Amino acid sequence: MVRAVHYLNQFFAGLGGEEAAETPPTRLEGAVGPGRGLAAELQGVEIVATLACGDDYFGEHEEQALASLVELLEAERPGLLVAGPAFGSGRYGHACARFLRTASERLRIPVLAAMHEESPGVGTAEGKVLIVPTAVNVAGMRDALPRMARLAEAVVSGRELGPPEEEGYLPRGFRRNRFAPKPGAERAVDLLLAKLAGEARSEIAGGFDRVPPPAPVPDLSRALLALVTEAGCVPQGNPDRLPTIRAQGWLRYELAGSRSLAAGRYESVHGGFDVKLANEDPNRLVPLDTVSELADEGRLGRVHDVLYTTTGNGTPVASATRFGREIAAELKEAGVEAVLLSGT
Amino acid sequence: MAWELATFPTELMGEAPVLDGVEVEIVPEGAPVRVTHVLDAVEPRIRPDGRAAFPTEGKAGEGRTNRLEGVTVLSCLDFPAEERPLHEQESVVDLAGPGAELTPFAQATNVVLTFHPRGGLGNEELEAWARRTTLSVAEELARPTLEAEPQEVERFELGPADPSLPAVAALVQLSDLGPLYYQYLYGVPAGEAALPRAVDPAEILDGAVTCGEYHWAALRNPTIVFQRNALVRALFREHGRRLRFAGVVLMRGYEQSAEDKRRAAAAAAEAAAGLGADGAIVTTDAGGNSHTDAMLTVRACEAAGVRTTAIVAEMADPDSTSPGLTDWVPEADSIVSAGNAEELVPAWRPGRVLGGGRLLDGSPAEEAGPIPVRNYLGAANQTGQFTLTATSW
Amino acid sequence: MLAKEIERAGVPTVFVTSLPTIATMVGANRIVRGPAITHPFGLDEADRRRIVERALEMLETEVEPATVWEVEAE
Repeated sequence: MVRAVHYLNQFFAGLGGEEAAETPPTRLEGAVGPGRGLAAELQGVEIVATLACGDDYFGEHEEQALASLVELLEAERPGLLVAGPAFGSGRYGHACARFLRTASERLRIPVLAAMHEESPGVGTAEGKVLIVPTAVNVAGMRDALPRMARLAEAVVSGRELGPPEEEGYLPRGFRRNRFAPKPGAERAVDLLLAKLAGEARSEIAGGFDRVPPPAPVPDLSRALLALVTEAGCVPQGNPDRLPTIRAQGWLRYELAGSRSLAAGRYESVHGGFDVKLANEDPNRLVPLDTVSELADEGRLGRVHDVLYTTTGNGTPVASATRFGREIAAELKEAGVEAVLLSGT
Repeated sequence: MAWELATFPTELMGEAPVLDGVEVEIVPEGAPVRVTHVLDAVEPRIRPDGRAAFPTEGKAGEGRTNRLEGVTVLSCLDFPAEERPLHEQESVVDLAGPGAELTPFAQATNVVLTFHPRGGLGNEELEAWARRTTLSVAEELARPTLEAEPQEVERFELGPADPSLPAVAALVQLSDLGPLYYQYLYGVPAGEAALPRAVDPAEILDGAVTCGEYHWAALRNPTIVFQRNALVRALFREHGRRLRFAGVVLMRGYEQSAEDKRRAAAAAAEAAAGLGADGAIVTTDAGGNSHTDAMLTVRACEAAGVRTTAIVAEMADPDSTSPGLTDWVPEADSIVSAGNAEELVPAWRPGRVLGGGRLLDGSPAEEAGPIPVRNYLGAANQTGQFTLTATSW
Repeated sequence: MLAKEIERAGVPTVFVTSLPTIATMVGANRIVRGPAITHPFGLDEADRRRIVERALEMLETEVEPATVWEVEAE
């Protein structure tokens, strides 16, 4: 029997929802929550303990969280570490990937996580963690657990893994050769015709898509500054029904001379964190009061009279990129020279 | 203007001439042979009208040319060690074993010419001797076809096509790196051939471009890759169906300064736009520095309103997830992978070695251990000749 | 992704977030670490002012890609 340890966030470990997101690393005996379903699927592998950590705690105290998790893990003398499924949750996915990378480097044991392919955790893993792709939300649990179990059994067996589509993991980025059904020239003709028809595809992903930092603002005391937020700030009652998760779009709200986001007039509908503190004073997410004062004092030129908002929670990369481009176009049009973007 | 290519069977192959300082060996398809120090691969061709098969004057791509099917001439030359050129790279063809599926030359009868360096000749003279001799041997081998009936005749002609189809050009990079790293157009090194230049696509298939470039074996374009060019052939085939073939632009690669690179890219894009191309397929010759030329060409074309797809080989450490492209621009959003040249091919022990018993690193060629894809001639060709590609694991 | 796209349009953008590792992953260049997910600009006005001033300072500074600035505690 291979000894396995399972990592979960506070919610799946049954410690509570957003109100328990600050829970520091904790050890629970045996399999817990989704771990029970996973244990039922596993052959030759036993989940001896579950380690859990609050998503906010992990995000805010990453180094401490990692240190205690690794210590708790070592005590179990495991032969395998599994995590998740984290589905589309960005913070949970990131924590899974970060912990598993560290554990694999320190303990030299196989590690395996499960999450949605667009989770930021996939980027965090940088190919160092095997990831089973899952649906974006918990509805994909029943489908994910047997696939996690099969891959877990494969990695503990020590055999060399086959290609991603056969073994059921997300490509890690190792480039391996194979023979395509058609020569490169014919594939190039197909790709070019597709691109001319409006659909650019590539056999080599532009993993290098980095934008160099633009030059600094030459004179902030004369510049127009805009507020943009991914924290889901909307007028009270969410009149335009911004989704709390996986936003389909972004919204613009005229500030109409407001100098502060007053409680009761604005709120956050972000589904990825506990919004209680933010809604006591929405300036904690979008500091309109502070920037208005700084403009009065001459530190800033002017504050743009429109707030741009969306929820950066499980939003697919392609959508987020589109929102960014559309917002950028409006900002350029309005002559905005600097942006203060707030996230979670 | 039409050009006809007449195909004749392997059995018609003529005698190779006896040449001073050149060993000739005919190796049947699939023999357990490793060929080393391979400079070029050429398909035997001759013209019934008496003009040269690899002309240095006049225009190729007109009239008729005969080809011998299933025969490849391989030229091998181990440059004297003390004069070995800086960049000379290993170049291997395995006719059997795990490397054979990477080099398409294994699927042919190979006429292997091993050139023995003559005293007193420098590298550039040796190279010119080997290059010209190889082309003339290829021509001699096809001579018996002049007295025979072809088994097939293909006709290459760009007739009128539906103007609503997108116009597509091929941008073919020819190395201009320096002696031993030149591709030749009508016998003139790429750097002196007034590039970029739009040419009739049939010229490419008919021996106008020959190889004198001996950089990374897997990534370079031997003469046979131009003679049998899959990209030009695909565009001829698609002309009037899914696209209009706007033409071929030959451009320089391996420019040495940033300014020269930018200028060469801009000029190539202008030539493509001049052909009325809506889209262009950008090919590469060799690797590293020439990938920057390809990417700058993509950028210049996109800026000129010509949409692009590039074909490049990857050079990714098999144990790393870092990207295998030497260079990249955000405009390059449509790329064909010609394979990962850094992957290792399992060791194979050949029955015989031709071309030279020791590899460039001094190891015996029959016990070379695993050899990287990059040392197999033509394996990751970046005009899209073959099927090798890389995917993410 | 918003930061990257706005910067692509040439407008310097400072991203205040308590999850700077994720921010660097999605291509942000000017990042100020906020104290908590639930309140990236802190809880009181003094905190908020310190963080906003630090962010404005970053907009006036030439930075390397994916730079993260901390805010000194009071």
